Amino acid sequence: MSLSVALTKGRLEKAAVAMLEECGYGVERLKDKGRALVFEDTRRDVRYFLVKANDCITYIEHGIADIGIVGKDTLMEGGSDYYEMLDLKIGKCCFVLAGMKGCDPLKKSGHIRIGTKYPKVAERYFTSRGMDVEIIRIEGSVELAPVLGLCDGIIDIMETGTTLRENGLEVFDTAARISARVIVNKASFKLKRDEVMAVISDLERIVNRDAEGNQ
Amino acid sequence: MKQMQIPSGMRDLFPQECAVKSDLERRISSVFDSYGYQKIETPLIEFYATYQNTFTYLKEESMYKFVDESGQILALRTDMTLPIARLCASKYGNVSGPFRFSYCANIYKIRQIFAGKRNEVTDCGIELIGLDKKSDLEVLSCALDVMKALPAENFTLEIGNSDFFKLAVREAGIGSEDAAVLADLIDRKAMTDVMEKLDSLSLDKDAYRFFRRLPLLNGKNALKDAAECCFGESLMKETERFLELEKDLNDLGYGGCFAFDLGKVPHLDYYTGIIFEGFVQGIGTAVLSGGRYDDLLGRVGRDMPAIGFGVKTDYLLDAVQAEMPSGRRLVYPSSRLKEALLYARKLRQDGPVELVPDDSAERMEVRE
Repeated sequence: MSLSVALTKGRLEKAAVAMLEECGYGVERLKDKGRALVFEDTRRDVRYFLVKANDCITYIEHGIADIGIVGKDTLMEGGSDYYEMLDLKIGKCCFVLAGMKGCDPLKKSGHIRIGTKYPKVAERYFTSRGMDVEIIRIEGSVELAPVLGLCDGIIDIMETGTTLRENGLEVFDTAARISARVIVNKASFKLKRDEVMAVISDLERIVNRDAEGNQ
Repeated sequence: MKQMQIPSGMRDLFPQECAVKSDLERRISSVFDSYGYQKIETPLIEFYATYQNTFTYLKEESMYKFVDESGQILALRTDMTLPIARLCASKYGNVSGPFRFSYCANIYKIRQIFAGKRNEVTDCGIELIGLDKKSDLEVLSCALDVMKALPAENFTLEIGNSDFFKLAVREAGIGSEDAAVLADLIDRKAMTDVMEKLDSLSLDKDAYRFFRRLPLLNGKNALKDAAECCFGESLMKETERFLELEKDLNDLGYGGCFAFDLGKVPHLDYYTGIIFEGFVQGIGTAVLSGGRYDDLLGRVGRDMPAIGFGVKTDYLLDAVQAEMPSGRRLVYPSSRLKEALLYARKLRQDGPVELVPDDSAERMEVRE
């Protein structure tokens, strides 16, 4: 049976396509994509489409895509009606708690305001520490919010930390580690188990090989 | 201002969808009838406290709530199992059972907004109350017959066992809080997180190996693999019970229609043994779900074992094409209405007739 794979556009796209290529999938069309939205594999019975991270979960939950590749950050903020079967160990970064230098929100008493693009992640993080904070949703340039005094701290994704440092912010804690994950629609896993597991073990082989190479 | 919209998660169903839906309900009910289940109805509205007192981990944000004239909190029912359990305890207290009830009713859950999800669905199901796990096979047969009766090309009924996880947790000495976290991770097959959690638990080698494999104890060799990696006598016994179940289902002619997934451990505070879900080609979510919940009735005041399942007919609407009956039309000049009605009465004996007044028509005429 044919498989549909939803790939997340942008940051993860190139690395994910490279991994598929290494496993022997015919992803040439994905590398030179022009304006197309759906791509047929040139070797196997698989089709790919590129979507935004949040939409990847939606397409998976509705069973339009059987397999999706998406960042853990998106999964932590989105729904949970899917199987999360493999860590691809690409697109690694982490959720951190940051704030103005020397002003650790975890040590502040009184009302605490946290700015974030990821309100659910932030809420879980503080609830698990027994803290009640006010969360303010911010759409972009989150590091600006504490600088301008909108909030006491932020929960945000950090890759290298350069942006935070350049804005005079300090990292106080790591909330979670993030990398790209393979998610699978539940019904697809039941009805196309062999096909789905074949893709998973193909990718797993590359992940394990790279892990050994790094040791 | 005119109110044009319907609330989030609601749908209007159009004639074609209604035709498909009633056909589905007929197919399902006739299987239930053939197994001797008797249809009952309960109110759409229950006291919120009925749910609150029964479930430890009630998702209160997913319930529609409102207040009655005396200030008590009411809720739209989120399932049919609890109302039927309540009814068994309060209205059949003097009857010894077993009870076989069927239902076909709308249930309500508030779900994620802007995600194309349905908050109102029709659930057609059965409850078999008063018989212990020896009746699992009967209920599975019924569920498989229901799946076969659906107009779907390819389906599978997936069978799990929540005892399997519970026994392993007890055997390995994992505390209840860790067990709840682990159950959720295993149920979602969140492999990376499962490994991380297991590493933090300092388990002995056999237990570690078992839990590591549990999320993938499914597919063709599920039970054989389970027999290989399970530890302790009680787990071995459960595996043997399931091997027997597999043989029985094959002997009954259901081979190829079912599969096992022992890494299926949802709602541990609810299910107490077998759990199962039916999947249909083309639908991204389970259309049939059920299981055994021997503790539930005790919580509402009548300690009896119980098992049941339901089919969400709305989920199937996208996969089934409607064949609308092409009805006949009786066209008539409006001055001859009474005559037309008399004629239509005769015609109706062989099927539906739609009356169409048309003053440009010179005489009555039947059109296909």
